[in-house]
Amino acid sequence: MSTPVSLDLHGTDLPDMKLRKNSLWRMRFQIFCRNKIAVVGACFVLLLVICALFAPWITPYSYEKGSVLEAFEKPSLAHLLGTDAIGRDVFSRLIYSLRNACIVGFGAQLIELTLGLFIGAIAGYVGGRTDSILMRVVDIVYGFPSFLLSIILIILLGHNIWAVLIAVAATSWVGMARVVRGQVLTVRQSEYIDAARAMGANWWQILTRYVLPNSMGPVLVAAAFGIPANMMVESGLSLVGLGLQPPTPSWGSIIADGQKGIFSYPYLLVYPSLLFAITLLSFTYLGDGLRDAFDSREA
Amino acid sequence: MLVYVIRRVGYMIVALLALTLITFFLMKQAPGSFLTINIMQSGLQTSGHSSYSMDVLQEWSERYHIGEPWYMEYWGYLKGILTWDFGTSFQYPNTPIMSLLVKAFPISLGIALSSIILGLLISIPVGIFAAMRRNTWADSGAMFFSMLGTSIPAYILAVFLIMVFSLYLHWLPSMGWRDLKNYVIPVLALALPMTGSMSRYMRTSLVENLNKDYATTVIAKGGSKRDVIYRHVLRNSLIPLITIIGPHLAGMLMGTVMIEFMFGIPGMGQLFNNAAGSRDYPLIMVSTFLYTLVIMVMNLLVDIIYGLLDPRIRRSGMSD
Repeated sequence: MSTPVSLDLHGTDLPDMKLRKNSLWRMRFQIFCRNKIAVVGACFVLLLVICALFAPWITPYSYEKGSVLEAFEKPSLAHLLGTDAIGRDVFSRLIYSLRNACIVGFGAQLIELTLGLFIGAIAGYVGGRTDSILMRVVDIVYGFPSFLLSIILIILLGHNIWAVLIAVAATSWVGMARVVRGQVLTVRQSEYIDAARAMGANWWQILTRYVLPNSMGPVLVAAAFGIPANMMVESGLSLVGLGLQPPTPSWGSIIADGQKGIFSYPYLLVYPSLLFAITLLSFTYLGDGLRDAFDSREA
Repeated sequence: MLVYVIRRVGYMIVALLALTLITFFLMKQAPGSFLTINIMQSGLQTSGHSSYSMDVLQEWSERYHIGEPWYMEYWGYLKGILTWDFGTSFQYPNTPIMSLLVKAFPISLGIALSSIILGLLISIPVGIFAAMRRNTWADSGAMFFSMLGTSIPAYILAVFLIMVFSLYLHWLPSMGWRDLKNYVIPVLALALPMTGSMSRYMRTSLVENLNKDYATTVIAKGGSKRDVIYRHVLRNSLIPLITIIGPHLAGMLMGTVMIEFMFGIPGMGQLFNNAAGSRDYPLIMVSTFLYTLVIMVMNLLVDIIYGLLDPRIRRSGMSD
């Protein structure tokens, strides 16, 4: 017969628990740091965001005004990446298009996260008929040709950056809702949820304190991959002339302009494309690193 | 199987109806939409529609019962789709929309399909290569390139391809649409990003199957790694690859919108793009519907083929 051991754990347990909570995040951080390319990607993303935030102070020239006398100048110290057909500084235009891409990329992701968390969590947690109705709606939107729907929405809302942001978010929140719902469905079956319910927690407490925090990993990863995808759509729309209207700069319209003079002025096309490709790549590697860090199977 | 197909078709019809409703209401809200103006009352010239042909506007206002309640207008739109009679567009008052589509659609579909075939032809060998040399530099190299592919969109890749093949090597034309040479860069630009995720998928699927008991049995009986892959594992790994063709085709058709714009290819994407740019609402509505129809039919076909090929799913009656 085992005697009930009364250890005074109260003194020792608390700091121990605190340490353990810390060490999960520390472990994830260590796994993330092991992926060197992901760290480089993260640093570059940080640099880009800083550039986008402080665009007015970084850019040496205006993005919309140029001098015709300085048209088609080759890259030099005065104009780092040269000037375009009407003498505008390409470097300044690129920084501003980065700013616009970031507004759409992050802003649309914020809307997607909000909508996705709300609908996904309700569908996954409530289940039953609510779940099947919500998921039917999600399936229908998912099946639409998203790019066309974005274009139609932009025609409706006008060709400004907020219209582009809404048009991008309106078609891509369904992916996030699916991820959240899947996560909530798995987490809901865990024993600690049963334990919380047995302790008398109501559904709101269970959802916000236990289910959602434990579903965050894949949701964060999906969000990290969603940002470059939003940027791609934004510049794709501008590329075909249906996104941001000139003189507002966007990577897409800069590339479309550069393509016109490709044989005479290839630098107008190469540098913007390269920078865009590197931007998208660093976001992807950041997402990849996050996936490694949050995926317990591979850890 | 039959029950499954019928249910899928029924679901498809519901989704298409939802799409027509959404596009109808979006178009009705659009600024200067022909669905909101009453031609009989307000002069066309004053409402800024002088560029539209009077006859075409007349035709559309009759077709869509303009001025009557919304459900009659919607019914006009639906009737056009059901009878496969799309009328004429604002931009080209003398050509029926149908003949525009008949010209443009095969071009886009041809580009999309050849890109998918090329993508498969590249990604299957790359996947096998990476799976056979798992966790070596060859594997990580192949996966690095697949990562590049997934994160760079077709239109950026197209820029680099033009740079290499038109600007420096002078092998291929940088744009235009005349002969087979014009085909190469657009198809490559669409196919290569796709190989990224496809070869990854192929590799994972092969590795998964290589860890299964039947693969171990082959090795235990003295088979080489080559034997295992080519005679046993490959067949089982190819089947799941079919499932991701459907979603890729949808993405590819959207990619053609940008690629056709860049290369001046007179396909569906260009048609839609022009329609959207000049607010040719009838053409926008019809081509959106057709795009969705094609994507949904393709997805359905892919799922049916998958079911036919995989006996486990065939027997369970495709309950999913």
